[in-house]
Amino acid sequence: MNLFLRELRAHRRSLIIWCLGMLAMVGGGMSKYSGMAGAGQSLNSLFASLPKSLQVIFGVGDFDLGTAMGFYAVLYLYIAVIGAVHAAMLGAEIIAKEERDKTVEFLLAKPVSRHSIISAKLIAGLVNLIVLNLFTFTASIVIMSRYDQVQAVAGDIGRLTAGLFLLQLIFFTVGTGMAATNKNAKAAAPRATAILLAAFLVAVATGLSNDPAVLKYLTPFEYYSAQSILVDGVAVTYHILTVIIIAVMIALTYAYYQKRDMNV
Amino acid sequence: MNVIEIDHLTKYYGKTRGIIDVSFSVEGGEIFGFIGPNGAGKSTTIRTLLGLIYPTSGSAKIFGKDCIAHGPEIRRQIGYLPSEVFYYDGMKVGDLLRYSASFYRKDCSKRIQELAEVLDLDLTRKIDDLSYGNKKKVGIVQGLLHEPKLIILDEPTGGLDPLMQQKFFDLLLEENKKGATVLLSSHILSEVQRLCDRVAIIKDGRIVKVEKISTLKESNYKRFKCEFTAMPDANMFSIDGVENLTIDGNVASFLFRGDVNKVVRMLATLDITDIWAADPDLEEIFMHYYEKEA
Repeated sequence: MNLFLRELRAHRRSLIIWCLGMLAMVGGGMSKYSGMAGAGQSLNSLFASLPKSLQVIFGVGDFDLGTAMGFYAVLYLYIAVIGAVHAAMLGAEIIAKEERDKTVEFLLAKPVSRHSIISAKLIAGLVNLIVLNLFTFTASIVIMSRYDQVQAVAGDIGRLTAGLFLLQLIFFTVGTGMAATNKNAKAAAPRATAILLAAFLVAVATGLSNDPAVLKYLTPFEYYSAQSILVDGVAVTYHILTVIIIAVMIALTYAYYQKRDMNV
Repeated sequence: MNVIEIDHLTKYYGKTRGIIDVSFSVEGGEIFGFIGPNGAGKSTTIRTLLGLIYPTSGSAKIFGKDCIAHGPEIRRQIGYLPSEVFYYDGMKVGDLLRYSASFYRKDCSKRIQELAEVLDLDLTRKIDDLSYGNKKKVGIVQGLLHEPKLIILDEPTGGLDPLMQQKFFDLLLEENKKGATVLLSSHILSEVQRLCDRVAIIKDGRIVKVEKISTLKESNYKRFKCEFTAMPDANMFSIDGVENLTIDGNVASFLFRGDVNKVVRMLATLDITDIWAADPDLEEIFMHYYEKEA
């Protein structure tokens, strides 16, 4: 319990900053919508005239940019990227920082098992993710209420936020997995974000061409894209993959952290 | 009863040597010195005892229990002061000590106050702002606040001024009187000599010798360095027990082992401008052991 509270406290400031980042993303993004709202149809035709590759990078998909929800759905790609970066770095950091800051010698000399250390850190990280998602959801609803009826958009925003949460869970556990398996504490966060970047690039690639189709299973961004959540419906395979990735990463985190020498 | 039993403990970091075949025991209630030059394997041994790293082979028991299998349970009764003290960013001294205490199932607040008072440590300051010596004090309080039965110290006196060192040693002796066993690792021979009953000497990852301090002192060398008004005659120094004599201008230096009075009488016949007499450093002690083995 003490360790859990300590972690909440340690990540409090960075959580606030990430929340503000999300607010800026949603608020700033939607203010662009209000600027273009009158342009409605022309915005759609503008994006339609862009090359396919740019459309994919902007995450336009099948959405109607003339509506607030359609615009938010496009914006969601960036929200997801921010969320993924936050989660990966949080996961890597929460495990690796004890070694990076040399506090591991203090902590492990206490009567705690390595398993309970990992448990406390995972739960503290989970609380951070829940807070960020609740905040993002609330901020989105409040901001969207300026452009549309809340009842009309709340369901879609809720589903997108749920997707964001699952995406964050995946990258959070990837982060903890990288930190636990990596002897060099400083390499954990760069590794986790490298995986994230690779996943994002694969997502862009699959958006450009559906060939080979198997590629889309490699990237969680594809599992919980706005297209997948709002239009196609998230495939069961994606849910299963999510569970598998998270389970494997958590198992790796516990197993490696238990077995390896601490770097002091 | 042995509080620590180390049995053929070996640790390699990949191919790099950590410690090789280390075996020794620390009896309950003794202050045991663990001495050797930097990189000899002192910290490796201690970190294995604490379960920070895992042995390549061999095993160690603390309070009769395997230190890996029963780590968390054993550590309830261990206080540890690491050689380098790093603590969580932005924490105040009091916060850290309360955090440290929260791992033990007892109220340590009174003990924290007592220790902070003895060591003259301000609990309201931020740890980041403390000097090296004051950080060390935080480490000391952190290691002693739960009144552990076994105190493990890895080069504890670095950064402490002589007065603080004395207070710290008094604290240790007090804890020892109350029944605590102490394992003190150091490369400073004098502090080990002052405190310890027995000592294990480690060099290049291997235990060279486990010896009572009293025995060690008997076989101990002194290093002399004297400056004379004129160049001394080398023949004057041909007394039993003088070794490694070098005469450089008016300065003579040598190692001596035996009855110090003989040297003093000999020196009294000469005109001296300055004199140094000191314990030889560790390297010289080790040389002494190697010579004996050869």
